[in-house]
Amino acid sequence: MIKSRSSLIFAWALLAPAILYVLVIVAWPLVETFRLSFTDASLRKVTNYVGWRNYDKIFNETFLTVITRTFTWTFFSVLFKMVIGTFGAVLLNAAVPGRNLFRILTMPPWIVPMAIGIFMWGWMYNGQFGMISGLLQRFGLVDGPVAFLAYGRPAYWATIVTDVWIGVPMVTIYFLAAIQAIPRDLYEAAWTDGASRWTRFRRITLPLMAPAIITMSMLSLIATFNSFDIIWILTQGGPSGSTTTMIIDTYQTAIGSKKYGEGAARAVVICLFLSLFCIAYFRVTRRLAATDKA
Amino acid sequence: MTTLFRKSLIGLVLAGSTALPALSQEISWIYCGDKIDPVHEKYIKEWEAANSGWKIAVEVVGWAQCQDKATTLAAAGSPAGMAYVGSRTLKEFALNDLIVEVPMSDEEKAAYYPHIVDTVTFEGTQWGVPIAFSTKAFYWNKDLFTQAGLDPEKPPTTWAEEIEYAKIIKEKTGIAGYGLPAKTFDNTMHQFLHWVYTNNGQVIDADGNIKLDSPQVLAALQAYKDITPYSVEGATAYEQNEIRAIFLDGKVGMIQASVGAAMRLKDTKINWGVTTLPLGPEAGGPGTLLITDSLAVFKGSGVEEKAVEFAKYITSPDIQIEYELSPDAGLTPLRPSAKVDALVAEIPYWKPFIDGIAYGGPEPLFTDYKGLQNVMIEMVQSVVTGAAEPQAALTKAAAALEEYK
Repeated sequence: MIKSRSSLIFAWALLAPAILYVLVIVAWPLVETFRLSFTDASLRKVTNYVGWRNYDKIFNETFLTVITRTFTWTFFSVLFKMVIGTFGAVLLNAAVPGRNLFRILTMPPWIVPMAIGIFMWGWMYNGQFGMISGLLQRFGLVDGPVAFLAYGRPAYWATIVTDVWIGVPMVTIYFLAAIQAIPRDLYEAAWTDGASRWTRFRRITLPLMAPAIITMSMLSLIATFNSFDIIWILTQGGPSGSTTTMIIDTYQTAIGSKKYGEGAARAVVICLFLSLFCIAYFRVTRRLAATDKA
Repeated sequence: MTTLFRKSLIGLVLAGSTALPALSQEISWIYCGDKIDPVHEKYIKEWEAANSGWKIAVEVVGWAQCQDKATTLAAAGSPAGMAYVGSRTLKEFALNDLIVEVPMSDEEKAAYYPHIVDTVTFEGTQWGVPIAFSTKAFYWNKDLFTQAGLDPEKPPTTWAEEIEYAKIIKEKTGIAGYGLPAKTFDNTMHQFLHWVYTNNGQVIDADGNIKLDSPQVLAALQAYKDITPYSVEGATAYEQNEIRAIFLDGKVGMIQASVGAAMRLKDTKINWGVTTLPLGPEAGGPGTLLITDSLAVFKGSGVEEKAVEFAKYITSPDIQIEYELSPDAGLTPLRPSAKVDALVAEIPYWKPFIDGIAYGGPEPLFTDYKGLQNVMIEMVQSVVTGAAEPQAALTKAAAALEEYK
């Protein structure tokens, strides 16, 4: 009894730093944000509780548009990362000369510091000095400079392209590991039966990669939904709000306009969405683990 | 005993000498930019030498985050001693009791160019010490004027001429006639306000009434619409420094920019000229937006009094002019002086930047300047992209500004 009590104390002593860390770094700011979301906190020194007013205020037409935009932006970005990542992994797994070189070449977007990579894309999108506009003009595809970040729709897609560029390497490497775990004899048996490359991909690679694809999709969804740097550096949410997602809108409200209460309410909404994604992620991974055991 | 006494004395001296820096009081200064200006560096050392026990702790913060950092620290209750802020934020800080007054004597006020003191004045007193001043003038590329068949020595003097010349340059050379910045960036508002102030317009009057929806401002917005087709393609992708880079590359005929552009143009092969900004139909004389940055002294740092003293020292006439005329600064002098007269006589391109001050207007002081900025940018972008007509955009913006004044 004495021994088990001392073991328990020892276990709690070991856990204590981690618990304290989570309480101070994660739990307390979360609780404080939630509390703040019911106040009119701003630069003023006096703060009053305002009930649900901040939530009433944010669920207007503009914020609903921002929510919709955030979901579509996230959807397309994750979709492209998964599709390109899958095909990239298949290509990197193929027995072609220079395969190792290609594997190395996949890495730069991941290795280059994110801000530098984004600034590089900003220059590439520049109409006057940018490489993309220059090439389009050189090949006679456009009459004059094309400023990709100048108009709503091109700016929206340009930010997605940059996000995909940054996200694809991780997805590719993860999928490559998943492909390499598929037993070779399955492919040999299928090849002996005369299955084409496409059939082998569709019937063997894709089904056996599914757990990896689902897991990565969920993780990517969470990271992309909260993506701030790319949009902020490229467009600051403009032009005319066409690239303003929930996280950008929250930053502009809380830090830009110093409406901390309203900003906190927006942050709570983001937190709720992310919590739903996390619950979905844990359910899916648990189900996949159960399937594996079976 | 003697040895023990000596050792103790040495020990005390050593302990005292190491404790001295800890005893010194610090004035933290949030300094916007990439690096501290050598002129400031030099005079900080001099001030510290003259004020033993005091230290200026400079924290350099990039322009994009500088304002937000100073504000967030103040709001969180751990303010910097002093921060380099856009003067437009002073009203908001003052109303929220975050900064201390920095009253000027009549003599101090009289030393500045007209309207400068207005940029830091709210409710009859001053809330910051001006440290940087920017006015704009009109640059044109003489080679492009020649190519377009225009007289290279005759820049436009009115908006009508400016729009006409932009059209001619675009049509005759295929190169953009004008550089219009309209990115989601603060200087999109500033550039538009240059047009407002060259047509006798106003955003808000001294009594706090919104005056945006006026014929003068409407004419400015209409001019924006009219010049857009002949401007750099995709105006909403560029802020003023990016437009300046295009001008330095010879890819645009005319821009409005600070004296910093002239300093950079000296290193190019471009044949250029600079004059006062073209005028709108109701202008009283050559105008420009008068933008100042100030040193704001925050409440609650415990060193307010000394910070005010340092702020006045570092912006005193002799130090300030040295800072303004340093090669990297690109600033318009805050005060008239014999040095400025000598400068204008020696380097004529400075003249239009000084001439515009007389009819210039200060940056509007709002309680929520970010709100003002967002409304103005949205108004400009909606007109430039063709999403709204000038009158509709103006009416909408004027109504929205009521919330932020």
